[in-house]
Amino acid sequence: MNSVAEVSSPPRNAQLFRRRLIGFIAVGEVGVLAAMALLIAFFWLLEPAFLSERNIRAILNVVSFVGIIAIGQTILLVTGEFDLSVGSVAGLSAVVAAKLMTAAALPVTVGILGGIGVGALIGLLNGLIVVRLGIPAFIQTLGMLFIGQGLIQVVTGGYPVYPLPEAINTIGGTDFAFGLGWSFAFFVIAAVVADFVLRRTVLGRNMYATGGNQEVAHLVGINTNAYKIGAFIVVGALSAIAGMFVMADLGSGGTSIGSGWELTVIAGVVVGGVSLFGGAGTVAGGVVGILLLKIVQSGLVVIGVNSNWQQIAVGVIMVMAVGLDIVRRRYFIAGA
Amino acid sequence: MSTTQEPLFSATAIAKNFGGVQALRGVDFDVVTGEIHALLGQNGAGKSTLVKILNGVHPAGSYTGTIQLDGRPVSFASPADARSNGVGYVPQEIEVLEQLSVAENVFAGRTGLGDGMLVHQRKLEQRAGEIFADLGIDINPRAYVASLTSAQRHLVIIARAIVQKPRVLMLDEPTASLSGTEVDALFSVLRRLKAQGVAMIYITHRLPEVLAICDRATVLRDGQVAVRIAREDFDAETFIFSMSGQRLQRLFPEHSAPVGAPTALDVRHLTVAGHSGAVHGARDINLSVAAGEIVGLAGLLGSGRSEILHGIYGRVPADGEIRVTGRTVSIRSPRDARAAGIALLTEDRKRDGLLFNLPVGANITIGNLAPLSRHGMVRGRLERSSILAAMSALNVKASSPQASVTHLSGGNQQKLLFARVLMRAPKVLLLDEPTKGVDAATRHEIYRLVVELAEKGVGLLIVASEIEELIGLCDRCLVVADGRIVDEFGRGEGGEDRVLWSVTAAQAERHALAAQVSS
Ligand SMILES: Nc1ncnc2c1ncn2[C@@H]1O[C@H](COP(=O)(O)OP(=O)(O)OP(=O)(O)O)[C@@H](O)[C@H]1O
Ligand SMILES: [Mg+2]
Repeated sequence: MNSVAEVSSPPRNAQLFRRRLIGFIAVGEVGVLAAMALLIAFFWLLEPAFLSERNIRAILNVVSFVGIIAIGQTILLVTGEFDLSVGSVAGLSAVVAAKLMTAAALPVTVGILGGIGVGALIGLLNGLIVVRLGIPAFIQTLGMLFIGQGLIQVVTGGYPVYPLPEAINTIGGTDFAFGLGWSFAFFVIAAVVADFVLRRTVLGRNMYATGGNQEVAHLVGINTNAYKIGAFIVVGALSAIAGMFVMADLGSGGTSIGSGWELTVIAGVVVGGVSLFGGAGTVAGGVVGILLLKIVQSGLVVIGVNSNWQQIAVGVIMVMAVGLDIVRRRYFIAGA
Repeated sequence: MSTTQEPLFSATAIAKNFGGVQALRGVDFDVVTGEIHALLGQNGAGKSTLVKILNGVHPAGSYTGTIQLDGRPVSFASPADARSNGVGYVPQEIEVLEQLSVAENVFAGRTGLGDGMLVHQRKLEQRAGEIFADLGIDINPRAYVASLTSAQRHLVIIARAIVQKPRVLMLDEPTASLSGTEVDALFSVLRRLKAQGVAMIYITHRLPEVLAICDRATVLRDGQVAVRIAREDFDAETFIFSMSGQRLQRLFPEHSAPVGAPTALDVRHLTVAGHSGAVHGARDINLSVAAGEIVGLAGLLGSGRSEILHGIYGRVPADGEIRVTGRTVSIRSPRDARAAGIALLTEDRKRDGLLFNLPVGANITIGNLAPLSRHGMVRGRLERSSILAAMSALNVKASSPQASVTHLSGGNQQKLLFARVLMRAPKVLLLDEPTKGVDAATRHEIYRLVVELAEKGVGLLIVASEIEELIGLCDRCLVVADGRIVDEFGRGEGGEDRVLWSVTAAQAERHALAAQVSS
């Protein structure tokens, strides 16, 4: 099979089937989905309560928060950068929004826009510094993680902000179906849109090119800096939205919103096949990865494993997922 | 060279399969002491695969067949294993450690120089300096590899293989990015190694090189040995015929400069700053290319030819005035250049050509998606059909538009990049080493393509290190030395000697001037 012309002639059936199979396995999300199905079956066999309505709802609820950030992180990773400050940004945006609504007594919409604005602004700052000054994203966003945590304390004085306006509690309390509310709806819509953008649009293609080889992308006329900065802004804004959904869910602007999320999000999307080196991965994959991670965490709780072991499991799974991914690429995509 | 001599290194019945692609189907191959054995074949014939097997890149167990060194069977688990058995290798693709110095790259993996754990920085630099002097290479051993041009990087990896003092040395297209004088320097080193009894396997697409230094040639076709040719029967036409099964009537298609055609590209006082030692830049360049004209930039490695192209394309900051079809354009980035109708084919496919994370099809359309999309959405069907059209127009051999670009042969990668730059129908096409690593038949296709484009009114400006190629293809040649244009001649008004002569004259003049200034 070496030329375009040859391919159009019908290959033998067995070969065709083999190729289809390889092509199917080579699709990034399939491996993670299969692993997820196995894990669900495993936990369910050990403890049928794992598939109880309450537990499923709890898992989906958590995923809806971190999943929103995972969408942004996936986009950013595709362009070849990453952001460690997402948790801090989520927390900071939430408390800023809460303060605007309470201490400043501004309307709820202004508060929400203010929160999103803070996230987007931090994203812009991260992007400008990484792209224009050439400071590695690791350093810049790690710094921003600490800055954000400090600012949370500065804004709140260390105390949670409440009571929040009734409208916020309504957003947090809405139940569309199955106990899932606004945050889940937003998460699903954002995921579908982002997945479509990466897969089907010129914008998405240019992002893959930017993350694959910035020099090549630049030479074919893509404004790589703009794409990177844009992706940082998207991550910032989505982190802010996730933080505010948690705030609405809790009914208060807690100072610990978002803490520790940065690593969960990165671990999750990496499990879902998004490359840390840029240019590879899909939003669907990243989202499924996060879901898998949360299923494991919850499953271990349900079957009564000590919480220390849960952390260990998360670490092992992440490394294994990346290892499997490398093997998959080598054997199914390269065919060597 | 008598072939009755016992082979030093031999391979028998080598077969290799890459997930369905049969790259080699039972190849027998050997080299004897003090022999330079040419391994020839079209792109994708399996040459690189064979030497990668002989060198442990494809480890024992991943192929079938046997390898013998000194009459004893050997199996290499890795290139390091092969190296410790005295088998050295210069890969086709440049593999360097960008963040290390040239000297550290030359001694990569052996920076302790055999005694202990410490790195002898000064000794490394000194030894690297000696090797470069030997090879006639002008590179500072302390420079960082990141600042080198791709030809210079190639010299670094050649030096890396030679310092190991191998008994068998395999060179996979070592001269693909070198020009005349560097090739001569390399050849004199290879001749010396040959006199010392080193057995060499030499892969190239440049047939004159085979005539110049090889003792025997083996031609691969579709993973099999097509023919073995002894030195007495060497002849370029025979080579081409046995590689491709076709006879070429004429190497360079006929073309003559258009008369009275409008100017496609006009460059005035272009100055490109040099950076970081190895790259010298260009000063006060004035040139123009008419629509339908093929103009060549000749010169030695590092003379500033590529910098001129990069300056015009906005890849590096440049001062000066650029006009495209009479209109003055301001070019500050490749984006501006493309908008003005200029396209560039870069020299180093791996570093600034291909996107390895995207499949063949997306590699062709990247940067060209505007006409293939509506409201920002890529129109899948339209994209696919235009990819297939581009692939068949240029005869790109890949299993499908979804195939990975990693395993395409060098020539097919090159054609893919051509397809990318041509998709926009540029008015001015800048080509940097368009036939690098491309086999004779494909080369011929590329020459035809160049002439065809010229006939359609595209202005072409070409950099190539093979001077015969420029002379055969171009309507006019500009000679570049030290970042300046020092000579110009039309088709039939000069050859290789004239280029070398004007380069030497320019250098002598500069030295005289420097002497005057300092006295
Ligand atoms: N790692 C790999 N995986 C899959 N296919 C491969 C791999 N390496 C090579 N091939 C395929 O094997 C065949 C032979 O490739 P090879 O690189 O040996 O050709 P070559 O003769 O060196 O060509 P060129 O002159 O272009 O360098 C090609 O069809 C190529 O696509
Ligand atoms: Mg090769």
